[in-house]
Amino acid sequence: MISIEIDGKQIEVEEETTILNAANALDIKIPTLCYNELIEPYAVCRICVVEVIRRKRTRLVTACNYPLRESVKVRTNSERVLKLRRMNLELLMARAPAAKIIQEMAAEMGLETTRFPIENPKESCILCGLCVQMCQDVVGAYAIGFADRGSKREVSTPYERTPETCILCGACAQVCPTGHIRMTDAEERIIHSKLSLGPNAAITIPFRQAIPNVPRIHAEHCIHFKTGECMLCSKVCPKDCIHYDDKDEIEEFEIGAVIVATGFDDFDPTPMKQLGYGRYPNILTGAEFEQMNNAGSPTGGKIVMENGEEPRSVAILHCIGSRDENYHKYCSRVCCMYALKFAHLVKEKSNAEVYQLYVDMRAFGKGYEEFYQRILDEGVNVIRGKGTEIVPNRSGAGDGALLVRCEDTLIGKFREIPVDMVVLCSALEARSDATDLARKLNISAGADGWFIESHPKLGPVSTTTEGIYLAGVCQGPKDIPDTVAQGSAAAAQAMKMLAQGQILMDAAYAEIAEEFCSGCRICNGLCPYNAISFDETKKVSNVNSAMCKACGTCVAACPTGAIAARHFTDEQIYAQIEGILV
Amino acid sequence: MSFEPKILGILCNWCSYTGADLAGTARMKYPANMRSVRVMCSGRVDPGFILNALRSGADGVLICGCHPGDCHYVEGNYKCMRRIPLTKKLLADMGIDPRRLRLEWVSASEGARFQSVVTGFTEEIRTLGPLELRELNFDAEHPAGTAQEISAAAS
Amino acid sequence: MKPYRANVMVCAGTGCVSNHSLEIKKAFEEEIQKRGLADEVQVVTTGCNGFCGAGPIAVVQPDGIFYQLLKIKDIPYLVEEHLLKGRPVPRLMYVPPEEKIHIPKMNDIAFFKGQMLVALRNRGMIDPENIDDYIARDGYRASAKVLTTMTPDEVIQMIEASGLRGRGGGGFPTGVKWESCRKAKGEPRYVICNADEGDPGAFMDRSIIEGDPHSVLEGMVIGAFAVGSSEGYIYVRQEYPLARERLVIAINQAREYGLLGDDIFGTGFKFDVDIRRGAGAFVCGESTALMASVEGRVGEPRAKYIHTVEHGLWNKPTCLNNVETWATIPAIIMRGVDWFTSIGTGDVSENPWGGSKGTKVFSVAGKINNTGLVEVPMGITLREIIFDVGGGVPKGKKFKAVQTGGPSGGFLAAELLDLQVDYEQLTEAGSMMGSGGMVIMDEDNCMVDMAKYFLTFTQDESCGKCAPCREGTLRMLQILQRITDGKGTEEDLVLLEDLSHYVIDSSLCALGGSAPNPVLTTLRYFREEYEVHIRDKKCPARVCRQLNVYTIDPNLCVTKGHGCGVCRAQCPEKAIVGEKNKAHSVIQDACKKCGVCYDVCKFDAIQIS
Repeated sequence: MISIEIDGKQIEVEEETTILNAANALDIKIPTLCYNELIEPYAVCRICVVEVIRRKRTRLVTACNYPLRESVKVRTNSERVLKLRRMNLELLMARAPAAKIIQEMAAEMGLETTRFPIENPKESCILCGLCVQMCQDVVGAYAIGFADRGSKREVSTPYERTPETCILCGACAQVCPTGHIRMTDAEERIIHSKLSLGPNAAITIPFRQAIPNVPRIHAEHCIHFKTGECMLCSKVCPKDCIHYDDKDEIEEFEIGAVIVATGFDDFDPTPMKQLGYGRYPNILTGAEFEQMNNAGSPTGGKIVMENGEEPRSVAILHCIGSRDENYHKYCSRVCCMYALKFAHLVKEKSNAEVYQLYVDMRAFGKGYEEFYQRILDEGVNVIRGKGTEIVPNRSGAGDGALLVRCEDTLIGKFREIPVDMVVLCSALEARSDATDLARKLNISAGADGWFIESHPKLGPVSTTTEGIYLAGVCQGPKDIPDTVAQGSAAAAQAMKMLAQGQILMDAAYAEIAEEFCSGCRICNGLCPYNAISFDETKKVSNVNSAMCKACGTCVAACPTGAIAARHFTDEQIYAQIEGILV
Repeated sequence: MSFEPKILGILCNWCSYTGADLAGTARMKYPANMRSVRVMCSGRVDPGFILNALRSGADGVLICGCHPGDCHYVEGNYKCMRRIPLTKKLLADMGIDPRRLRLEWVSASEGARFQSVVTGFTEEIRTLGPLELRELNFDAEHPAGTAQEISAAAS
Repeated sequence: MKPYRANVMVCAGTGCVSNHSLEIKKAFEEEIQKRGLADEVQVVTTGCNGFCGAGPIAVVQPDGIFYQLLKIKDIPYLVEEHLLKGRPVPRLMYVPPEEKIHIPKMNDIAFFKGQMLVALRNRGMIDPENIDDYIARDGYRASAKVLTTMTPDEVIQMIEASGLRGRGGGGFPTGVKWESCRKAKGEPRYVICNADEGDPGAFMDRSIIEGDPHSVLEGMVIGAFAVGSSEGYIYVRQEYPLARERLVIAINQAREYGLLGDDIFGTGFKFDVDIRRGAGAFVCGESTALMASVEGRVGEPRAKYIHTVEHGLWNKPTCLNNVETWATIPAIIMRGVDWFTSIGTGDVSENPWGGSKGTKVFSVAGKINNTGLVEVPMGITLREIIFDVGGGVPKGKKFKAVQTGGPSGGFLAAELLDLQVDYEQLTEAGSMMGSGGMVIMDEDNCMVDMAKYFLTFTQDESCGKCAPCREGTLRMLQILQRITDGKGTEEDLVLLEDLSHYVIDSSLCALGGSAPNPVLTTLRYFREEYEVHIRDKKCPARVCRQLNVYTIDPNLCVTKGHGCGVCRAQCPEKAIVGEKNKAHSVIQDACKKCGVCYDVCKFDAIQIS
């Protein structure tokens, strides 16, 4: 520890502490421009130059990187220092007249104008090097650097072309003190399908209600995973929670019950070419529209088109992909109500006209029909007819860039409605991996992919497989109240089973008599439940009675008759046959 | 007196047995010639059952299971589907008309279909006539002859 | 070994080579062959003789006869007369300015008489591409002595006691530097030879490397032994291809002889050298920028709060010294501390900064009769260098100023001619020793223009990293340009001085820290000239052309020139009117002050006011 005096105040610091850090500890403010605590001090702006008196010699040094090694006196505000600072700012004002921070610092010193001729009044780069250091040392992308020498020095990219190594992290823009570097969207339009809730940093909490409510690193955007550098997040984390080499681990649990609540996928309307989704702008799915309306979305909840303007009119089309011979025959149940909600939101947030194109209004729940009435009262144009085609509005007539074609069945006419934005209420469909999951869990999935409950009326949350329960849309489209009810039910059933502490197994299952088993393993592959395994030491097969469903396929196949199906043995059946035919 | 065939039916529990139940509760009439044994799955059906039935006096055997793809045990009916043609070939080699063995798919809701299947099969067996396998004497030392000869002798 | 009765030492330094000295060598050889003297007379190419203004040069040894300004057609006659008939040729010898009598012997010529050769001890005596020549003149005896009989600490003590200070310009006591490096922690350690020599007009280091490369290598071996290094780098500037070539030859020869590389002198000491090339940046002469360049990074300096002797090349302890410093080391080892401290000023027994010991090589150029390279003892006065060794200002013009230290140095006026050449004294006067450049100015030089000239160089060479140097020198140059264009104001002088102090105080490295020196010294000693430029919008030396007014003396034009019209034909702006046999005149509005008319008029009819 060494004793330092700064502007008359004493402080004890460790060796190699910089003057700047020592001054900070004393609450003495030394101005800086090119200093950033995350980066190695570059010491080029020279604004932080202060006087150091060491053994009777006065020296001028930069506070940001001068290491204190012995007891010295520092003067940060002497006349000489202030004069140097003033001249520095005066020169920088001529170099970068548009840099606000220079003007502010100069004004603090009573400096209003510069005596030096200004070459470029719009220049705001002060050549502090923070962006370059960030890109080269912290991010490791080396996309920008200094070019040319002396007064021609400038921050540039290799050959002044768009650099290949730029990973668009925005660190340079973030660290620039004058705002000279800005990040702009290359196309400057809102891409509805790519909106997501919340900020777009590489390490974020996905959305506010996420569970667990902790940040996670998106490796595809993370600088460290692209260049091996950065790691600033772990440097600032006080609890050392961030480990970049964490990998997915496979953990094995022994469990008694599984509740399958895997939800659904959104129907992608792209194959329905006549609706123009993905071809024309401002045609969104229900989910995309919902995301945009969320207060945490990049638009802040405003309903905007791709060019950032508000739509003059919106059409909401029901039954896209549902109740459709060509896609899904079933009704997705939830769309009518959320479509009405969308109509209400549009009316609430803007002056746009709303056209509701429905086929049947399914307002089955508590208060639903009343809400539908309310929508009608809000002046939404409700048209009974399926929206069949969406094309660009080339005539330019009307308040819309798109044209929605439909048949208004109530008046018996075909209509072409010009609208600016279309919302497609797309079907709920089973997740693409539903059948795989069903196989893994030994449950059945229907032709539509929804998991099959043990009984359509009496067993909505259980499956034919003991211990596996269903909840939510994975069992079939339903809305939130119903899902919550199902969730509770499944939980209750699971708890009931677990509370018993034992499982009541079916008495019928197959058994292998070891002494007759020849180890041919024909049965192993036959079992649809993988209930038969082969014991390598004893060289015989055996049946897991808990998994066996007593179908008897293995029994019939066993060449030695080593397998017997309890309660359906060969002898019993033979006896039945005898009994019948005698 | 016309010949009344004795037909053994082996029905799988989940589809065909329930279908038969349905036919019953719906009061559909079908010939009483068929008496059924219930197994859990058509895949349980061992060819031995069929042979035993025929030897025990059955004139025909009808196996009913779930439609392919709908088996409650996923694939049991496919296994049955593999075994039955082989069994039929075996029967033919033995000199028994393979038409006496039939495999049909009846689902739990197909009461009517069950009725028509059983009716149809009964009539077919009636046409084919009694099997009378029990009367045949098998002398290992002196085989009775070729399959055709035995068939001919039996009819 | 065949003894020759005569050796013709032909100077093959870059200056003479570019003046066909190699063809002259060939001419010598051919003529000698022709005359059947090949067994008796040897022709040797040596490094720079030093008297560059008199080149091409040949010195006949052992007589020591000095021949200058040789042309190929002179050679046959010279060979016949001097080498065959034994009669030296007077018309090819040196004649001092303002005199008529030639001086045959080199050592009698004032240029050479006043010098004391230490770093240049082998000048003109050896073929730099032949290691045997170097060894014959006691080469590598110093490193042998050090490696076989001394310890590193003893070496360091010796160099410290000698008072040798860095010859690159910083003047830092070499022994102290070596000691700090030795004490520093880290392996491996490096020694570096700074041969970047960026000062315009400076060629001391070039001459040493071209003329005596082994002296540098030997010095580095000794230094490496002292600090505990086995790896050395010589950073040669891009623009010295001949020097690099000679170094490569020297290094290979030294390795062959076991004087460099593994197990030198069989002592087990290992040291080898690699050459690194510069790429045209003056700032890479600064030690931290040089090290960045060697590491492959952009040549930009860094703060020296952390010394390079502790954390230098690749963050390891590094000892960097100038070419001349390295070349001096073997001499000190061989001839001893007492000898070295007997030369020079001050007292270094207590304080290494207490004096300037030994000799210094200067490149003398500008308005001087004897242009070339001189090595003189520290403490010699400026007057002695300029008027004795240098032969004074030509054409009888009046001495005005001397600039020392290159673009980092300052101008010293006539009143300081008796100043002793010494680190402290020069710095106190506002200039500095620098690397040894010395430019003489006479009454025809404009001091404002001279300051502008040097500032233009440093401003261009500024790396641009730190704001003061980058912005400050630019603005200072703009002000100087305005002054020389006749647009200067009194406030400009104040601003110039303020900027100068700001740049010196706030810059990151010594380039910025010394770039304003020419401006400050000219303001100090020649302020009147600035005032004339500003107040009267005139340039007293008529150098700043924008302030000149070109007129034609009608009398001279008609009577002497008969209205020849040459100026009218040459004027690029067509600003001169006149007819044959009639007086011509200049249209002032059209005149762009290029001065071509002044140059072409044979009759002195063009006047500048």
